[in-house]
Amino acid sequence: MRLTSRSLRFVILALFAVFFVVPMIWLFLAPTKSDGALVTSNPFAFGSFHHIAQAWDHIDAYSSHLYRRWISNSLLYAGSATAIVLATAVPAGYGLAFGTFRGRKLVLTVTLIVMIMPASALVLPIFLELNSLKLIGNVLSVILPFAFYPFGVYIAYIYYSTSMPRDVLDAARIDGCGEWVTFRHIALPLAKPVIALVLFFSFVADWNNFFLPFAVLAKSTQYPIQVGLSDLLSSTPSFNPAAGGGGQSVNIFRPELALATLLAIVPVLAVFMVSQRALVRGLLGGGVKG
Amino acid sequence: MQATRKRGLHAGGAQRKRDQGAAWRGLPFVLPYLPFLILFGILPAIYALSLAFTTSKGKFIGLKNFTKTANDYRFGPAFEHVFLYTSVWLISLIVFVVGLALMLHSRASKATSTFRFLYYIPGALAGAASVLVWLFMLDPAVSPARFLLEHVFGSTLFVQAIAPGHLPFIFAMIAFWTGAGGWIVVLYGALNTIPPDLEEAARIDGAGAWTIALRLKLPMIRKWIAYMGILSFATGTQLFVEPQLVNQASLGFVPDTWSANQLAYQLAFRYGKFNEAAAVSVDLLLIGLIAAVLIVTRTGLFRKED
Amino acid sequence: MSSPAAPTSTASGNLTVWVDAVRLPDAKAYQAAHPNVKMTIVTFDGDGNGATGLQTKIQLWNKAGSGWPDVIFSEQVNDPVWMAQQPFDFAADMGSLISKDITSQWPATSLGQCTVGGKLVCLQDNLAPNVLWVNQKLMTQFGYTVPKTWQDWQALGQKVATEHPGYIIGNSGDSYGAWTYFWGNQCPLESNVSGTKVTINAADTHCTEMATLLDPLIKNGTAPPLGIFSPDFAKKYGGATDKVLLMPGPAWYAQDVFGGTLHIPAGEMTATTPLQWGTDSPITTGQIGGGPWIISKHSANTAAAADFVQWSTTSFNPDPTSKDARPGLPGYAPLQALWLAGLAKNPYFAADPSPALKAAAGLIWQGWQLVTYPDQPVWTNTVVTGLVAGKTLTSLMPAFGKALGQAAKAAGYTVATS
Repeated sequence: MRLTSRSLRFVILALFAVFFVVPMIWLFLAPTKSDGALVTSNPFAFGSFHHIAQAWDHIDAYSSHLYRRWISNSLLYAGSATAIVLATAVPAGYGLAFGTFRGRKLVLTVTLIVMIMPASALVLPIFLELNSLKLIGNVLSVILPFAFYPFGVYIAYIYYSTSMPRDVLDAARIDGCGEWVTFRHIALPLAKPVIALVLFFSFVADWNNFFLPFAVLAKSTQYPIQVGLSDLLSSTPSFNPAAGGGGQSVNIFRPELALATLLAIVPVLAVFMVSQRALVRGLLGGGVKG
Repeated sequence: MQATRKRGLHAGGAQRKRDQGAAWRGLPFVLPYLPFLILFGILPAIYALSLAFTTSKGKFIGLKNFTKTANDYRFGPAFEHVFLYTSVWLISLIVFVVGLALMLHSRASKATSTFRFLYYIPGALAGAASVLVWLFMLDPAVSPARFLLEHVFGSTLFVQAIAPGHLPFIFAMIAFWTGAGGWIVVLYGALNTIPPDLEEAARIDGAGAWTIALRLKLPMIRKWIAYMGILSFATGTQLFVEPQLVNQASLGFVPDTWSANQLAYQLAFRYGKFNEAAAVSVDLLLIGLIAAVLIVTRTGLFRKED
Repeated sequence: MSSPAAPTSTASGNLTVWVDAVRLPDAKAYQAAHPNVKMTIVTFDGDGNGATGLQTKIQLWNKAGSGWPDVIFSEQVNDPVWMAQQPFDFAADMGSLISKDITSQWPATSLGQCTVGGKLVCLQDNLAPNVLWVNQKLMTQFGYTVPKTWQDWQALGQKVATEHPGYIIGNSGDSYGAWTYFWGNQCPLESNVSGTKVTINAADTHCTEMATLLDPLIKNGTAPPLGIFSPDFAKKYGGATDKVLLMPGPAWYAQDVFGGTLHIPAGEMTATTPLQWGTDSPITTGQIGGGPWIISKHSANTAAAADFVQWSTTSFNPDPTSKDARPGLPGYAPLQALWLAGLAKNPYFAADPSPALKAAAGLIWQGWQLVTYPDQPVWTNTVVTGLVAGKTLTSLMPAFGKALGQAAKAAGYTVATS
């Protein structure tokens, strides 16, 4: 009986895995083929390593190594902003979960409202604010708005308010620990999973954001990878007939686009794998007795 | 008697002190976040809200922007589209995400983290990056999912696959593909916060895997599911990325005002009608808020747990 | 092949230009040839394909009061039209910056497209007139003669459907389908444009007769409602055993589309003059694209900006087979001649297509003007979706006209129907 329910579980999980992974397998194999072969050959056929090398040469040659610049820009923006998010959102979640200050509910409500507001409506006012601070064209105009991550605050808030046993904290307080010490030595270490989650989601949100950097940056050397990929997409003749007549000199076709895309998701997947380690079971086990 | 009274008074003083302390407790932790909330959340939101009720010159005109946009020939279809989309997507998202998270959690193993990783990978692919992928996935001539497209959607050509009637389902599928993995990770982390002793106790009592999942674990992650519900409802009604990327992949076959959020974006940036765009954004905000209020009050999201 | 000698320029100062990846070699070559000019080159996606990237950036620059580049190259041929009007108000009067000796060398239609409110606000980097692309190898193989009129073209389509089913003589599913078939036949879908007035009349005989002509071909599969850039098109009709017999299409299809996208082998394709309606009326054709250069009216260095635009359109690299080939048929007559001479030697084509391109450049119908709103998506959303669902083009024309009117009104135009 248990065996069948276990194999049923596995089959369902595996079927979903197929759904999620098949397009990625296609993407993974795409740079190994030529543009023509992409259309005519079997979706799962493997082309050759030579094509991958060629595709990389084309991407790298695009606008003198601009691709590398895009990746390093994204690392800078996402990395710095996420560092700030960790320093602000995790304590904020803690404060909102255990605090009793006046305005606690207000901060929660306002944060939720801002999260529900369509982001495109906020770009113009943020742009005007940054402009009045003379930051337009500066990388801070990307990093600072990225550092505002209400989703992270809420994740930390829900985590602390549902899973952190109050008894432990109250015990610490009775023992005479100040708020800060309690947080640093008890709440923070126990929050490794939520820190991993906030780090991860913030990094990915920043990595994948297109519109804000597009709006505030002035030079193509400052673009993050998302804006850059959009440029590459528009240089691919099959996506942009208007580029027709020049695709050959730019040499960006669909296999190149596929490779550019794959390389762009590597950092995200790397951060994911690192944060996954913190999502280990039973971290809180033993914190409370009886 | 006197001693008790004395202690009582003393206790009262300490209580007052605790009350005074309570009025500020927790605030220092929230302070670093507040400047960002104000600068990039509250002030822009107020500006956007004020835009919805004024003209481009700043004159207050009440609800005129709202009536004007409601009469736009694209407004009705755009909202119809997102409502249909949201109902399809939201239900499948919550059911599958919760189900998969519970299934993954019931047996922690190497396979579990591998599955979690595989489910997540599409989430790393955003916007322009996925245009290429979906152009090929949705074209029956070249797609690995040709069988599905031909027999479920009845399409042998790309233009048939993205026919208007199919779009809510296509977008729901794409959005699920990109978004489910992330939520599964969140819920899995949430499930991890359940003390294993409880699970152990239930197992000793003879509860099977299903019972543990549905009767023990599910109620304990109620707040997380509520949060996912609120955000996903808002994300659903504010659909933007998926129709935009299929618009790009199909070179305009799918209109760039298919969803209400796309319409707001076009009004603002193509036509320069920021006030009207703000009105549509406020419409979307209100819809999201109604859902949020319903969910918050019924699940006690803001209440503090014991 | 050497470029025509450019006059020594005295341009100097700062110059910020926005170009797409294809025009980047041009910008870099200018910088190399003009060391006195401090250029900042920003590459962007070219705003092609109905994107709103430039509208967004210009609005934001306007609101910030700074940040405008001096020169922008756009891939959307109607960008200058809204750039010259409120609320964008970006385009400078190029007529006052570049001498008439130079600008007069563009065809009148090109200058007409770039004239908004009486001012010349852009110069087209390349022209894109529609020609009839011919697969000479297959046509000879099947013993067909190349049609000269639309009517002969239709008759050929009927023949092909019975004798060689699966082969095509055109397609109706691209977003610019209306520009291919209706512009050339003088159908007034974007006519009499002045300020915010436009005439849209889908019931005009020029429109209905073309729809009637196309319907049997759409039905029998020789002009299917597929887009030339979707993978299934390349799979079905391209490759070594390609099935493209004829294709009305713009000049830039050339090697990039037939060779690069459809992978049709060399030695098959060529071009001939656009189709004529009947034998009495003059030949008119449509134009699909032709990237414009725009100078910003906020530019602090209009001298260098004008010099750059002039250099790019009159001097840069006319050899279409060189490494940084100037893409597309140049609009500037002397450069065009050199470019066509180079194209004539291109071994990809079965026969020299340049006479057809040269002739077509002068046959573009002036009665179709550009507007601020994107009309191509209206064709795909209203007509192509209907064709795919099995409806006839004739039955879709009224809805098409209505949808065009709605798009025009939403953009602030008043629509006349005659």
